[in-house]
Amino acid sequence: MTALLPGSSRPRPLRGRPDLHTSYAAEMALLNTPGKRRGVAALAVAGALLALALTDDWLVILARGCALAIGAIGLNLVTGYAGQVSLGHAFFVGVGAYTASALSGDPADGALIGLGVRDMALWLPAAGAVAGLAGLLVAPIATRLRGLYLAIVTLGLVFLGEHVFREWTALTGGVGVGRPGPAPQLLGWRFAEGSALLTGAQQTYLVLFALLCLFALGGRNLARSDVGRAFAAVRDRDIAASIIGVDLRRTKLAAFTVSSFYAGVCGALLYVVTPYVEPGSFNLNLSVQFIAMVLIGGVATISGSIMGALFLATLLRVTQEIIPRLLPFIDTAPRRDTLLTTTQLETILYGLLIVVFLIAEPRGLYGIWVRIRNYWKGWPFSY
Amino acid sequence: MTTTIATRVRDRAAALPDRVAMREKDLGIWQEVTWADYWDRVLDVGHALLSLGVEAGDRVAIHSENRREWLFTDVGTVAVRAVTVGLYPTNPVPEVRHLLADSGARVLIAEDQEQVDKALAVAAELPELTTIVYLEPRGIARRYTDPRLLSWPAFLERGRAHRRAHPGAVEARMAAARPDDVATLVYTSGTTGPPKGAMLTVANVEFAISVLVEGGGFTDPPPTDRDVTLSYLPLCHVAERVFTVWFNAAVGVQVNFAESIDTVQQNLREVQPTILFGVPRIWEKVLAGVTIRMANATPLKRANHRLWMAVAGRIGRTLVRTGGVHTPATRALSAVGSVFMYRALRDRLGLRLVRYAASGAAPIAPDVLEFFMGIGVPMHEVYGMTENSAVATANRPGRIRLGTVGEPHPGVELRIDDATGEILTRHPGTFAGYWNNPAATARTVDADGWLHTGDVGEWVDGTHVRITDRLKDIIITSGGKNIAPSEIENALKASPYIKEAVVVGDRRNYLTALIGIELDTVGDWAQRRRIAYTTYRDLSERPEVVALVQAEVDRVNERFAKVEAIRRFRMLPKELDHEDGELTATQKVKRAAIQDMFADLVDDMYARAA
Repeated sequence: MTALLPGSSRPRPLRGRPDLHTSYAAEMALLNTPGKRRGVAALAVAGALLALALTDDWLVILARGCALAIGAIGLNLVTGYAGQVSLGHAFFVGVGAYTASALSGDPADGALIGLGVRDMALWLPAAGAVAGLAGLLVAPIATRLRGLYLAIVTLGLVFLGEHVFREWTALTGGVGVGRPGPAPQLLGWRFAEGSALLTGAQQTYLVLFALLCLFALGGRNLARSDVGRAFAAVRDRDIAASIIGVDLRRTKLAAFTVSSFYAGVCGALLYVVTPYVEPGSFNLNLSVQFIAMVLIGGVATISGSIMGALFLATLLRVTQEIIPRLLPFIDTAPRRDTLLTTTQLETILYGLLIVVFLIAEPRGLYGIWVRIRNYWKGWPFSY
Repeated sequence: MTTTIATRVRDRAAALPDRVAMREKDLGIWQEVTWADYWDRVLDVGHALLSLGVEAGDRVAIHSENRREWLFTDVGTVAVRAVTVGLYPTNPVPEVRHLLADSGARVLIAEDQEQVDKALAVAAELPELTTIVYLEPRGIARRYTDPRLLSWPAFLERGRAHRRAHPGAVEARMAAARPDDVATLVYTSGTTGPPKGAMLTVANVEFAISVLVEGGGFTDPPPTDRDVTLSYLPLCHVAERVFTVWFNAAVGVQVNFAESIDTVQQNLREVQPTILFGVPRIWEKVLAGVTIRMANATPLKRANHRLWMAVAGRIGRTLVRTGGVHTPATRALSAVGSVFMYRALRDRLGLRLVRYAASGAAPIAPDVLEFFMGIGVPMHEVYGMTENSAVATANRPGRIRLGTVGEPHPGVELRIDDATGEILTRHPGTFAGYWNNPAATARTVDADGWLHTGDVGEWVDGTHVRITDRLKDIIITSGGKNIAPSEIENALKASPYIKEAVVVGDRRNYLTALIGIELDTVGDWAQRRRIAYTTYRDLSERPEVVALVQAEVDRVNERFAKVEAIRRFRMLPKELDHEDGELTATQKVKRAAIQDMFADLVDDMYARAA
């Protein structure tokens, strides 16, 4: 029968037509065009190859950037996507850091709480879960407050947290003393120690990079799902959202819980890179840094959160290395004739960058990327 | 057993049941219909028609935009040996009355409330119309009480019930089909009088398929089921019927239905067809769209466009010289140009994968064809008409002659009448006559079987045919000079600013023209020059716009002989429209009607000189 019909051939899907979607699954796919698929694959490979291309001190900075990026994604979920302004992110990061440290701490050490659970596969989810639980407890406040009021409440949370961290010496070691961070050990592999092939910094970076990919994927997936759409609906107008059937309480609860989970994971991972936890770190300054990452990277974008975190993580290094050489009146440590220290400069830069981005490119680094992309996407037209 | 489009669909469904036959965009998703689904639905429609008492030779009318149900009904109708009659969605009520009354349709498939209303408005005068099936229930279901109304699901349910009670009834009717069964009535657009229904028989359709589809009369190599088309022109026109229904049934070309004529650009980008047919108006609009969007691009992009369009012009001219065959130089230029411009441009226009593009149904300006050839779209002008089942001539890939409609297809006799210059064709695709109009049939087909096309033409190099104009449109000036207005009109319409041009001058001492602007491009042009305007008429009559059109007219005049120059022109005060009786359903200008309607403008152009 087949032979009788002219022009028949083996079946072939429609190629070269990325916009022709024959199912909702194809249209809503995470990477719905060949360009995105290729781009993400190339980025992942390039990210992994960086481990070989850069020196160890840079890898430590990038590994820290990866951990911060996970935290920034968390903040972006609650603030960027769901529109709930949170200044309390540092608190959840602290909860995560101490949960992980306490779990993996040495039980023999009498001064500090330690449970001896040394594997990352256990302490990392636990850090996220405890922070998430803390978020769940705070969330009911968020369901009753909006905007500025919520910001003030979360601000209070940071101060409460900071006080607890300073005073609970059995957990944190106390101000100026601190405690060791969680053990860098994944399923028995002590990746911070280095091997015949790779140094410890290279391995640590690779582990964190892989985790960042995992959490970024999770965040993106959440954002494109019905939960993510509910977040956006609540952000754009909560009354309208509740009228079309979005459960406000549940949505805000979910936003805070997921965000805090990410923050907890971020906290635990930060102290894998810097192996010492200081209770004074989880202050308002850290919260502001996260907000800067989100604003500079791009509100309500996952890739923007990553860009913002990596940008700010490397900014510190740039201010320490390059600027003192160019401007001699700025120094890394305060001396008599220094006008500014680099740490002070950094704080000023954060402020300046936020102002500049909010005025010039409110969509952040992601917005710049989108402009560049659209310029070429529209080729040879402008629209 | 006689092969019909119904047996072709049945055989394909049996052989390749899971292959995609067609797609239609519904709620943002291109819903696919496999061949098995297609045939199943055709059987439902066939049985439903049987249950409604449709006999062999009865007429079934379809008044709808292009969609899946159009094909289901068309093939289902042919399966039960009935006759499909297509109505243009834009047909106003008086034309609907004429078409339904003239054809004596028993069943009408109407798309939505709008079309149902048109039919109900004249239903009292249509005693033969027993059933009106509506596809879109919105506004009709539970509100209209006319007993003749039937919803599409209820219609199919009727078919399924009949199928259970009488299995094989449709197949039995199909087996009785004969080559001289009338398969469809295609109403001519009627630029002069009321539309006439051309009867195309099963044998006519099969001949057209054997020449145009299986014989590769257009494309080279012939189309296969890997080819993809976009269906957007009215299916009641013979050209779209060829490219949608017949290409699909014969070799399984995948048909994709555009959402509407307004979304064609967007749908083209999504579907990226491999075979695309367009009327000149569509190609002119695509070209005008490029002009507008380029004018608003950034300086770098504009410079890039200027550079590569100059190169494209060179490639196009070379291809015109060689008949469409690349030389090493043009191939190299195209390859480099693809990187910087052409590939991206074709992708944005939805023409990236087009391996064969055709223009037909009306004359087109050579400049437009040259543009498309230059950017790498293999463009071919083809010629055919309803009365010869669209089989006459085509420019074959590699043997293109610009300005001609190509060579006669194999098996087609074509000659040019010595006395009148009229083109005559003779082949098995010549139609069986006009429905209920033997007098008109006798005027069109002579005793020897030659079809008088009504087009005046001439041979070019003994192989290609050039069409001068419609016989009845030829202008004879008072100086006795014969002038083909369409050539001048098309040269004018090639300008992105001019949408319509009607040349006037029969029995007058010079030529004049009525010109309608292209609202999009001229509006954009005016905006960039900060010329304020309110309506179409206001914009048309702005002195700056008149000057703009004057420049275009002057440019065209340079290319023609002095007697063919447009001495004066006036702006049309409104956009021409089918509903107002200025255009036919296929957007062809009704010359006589226009000159009548705008007689004051015409008189004005001649009065001043006197």
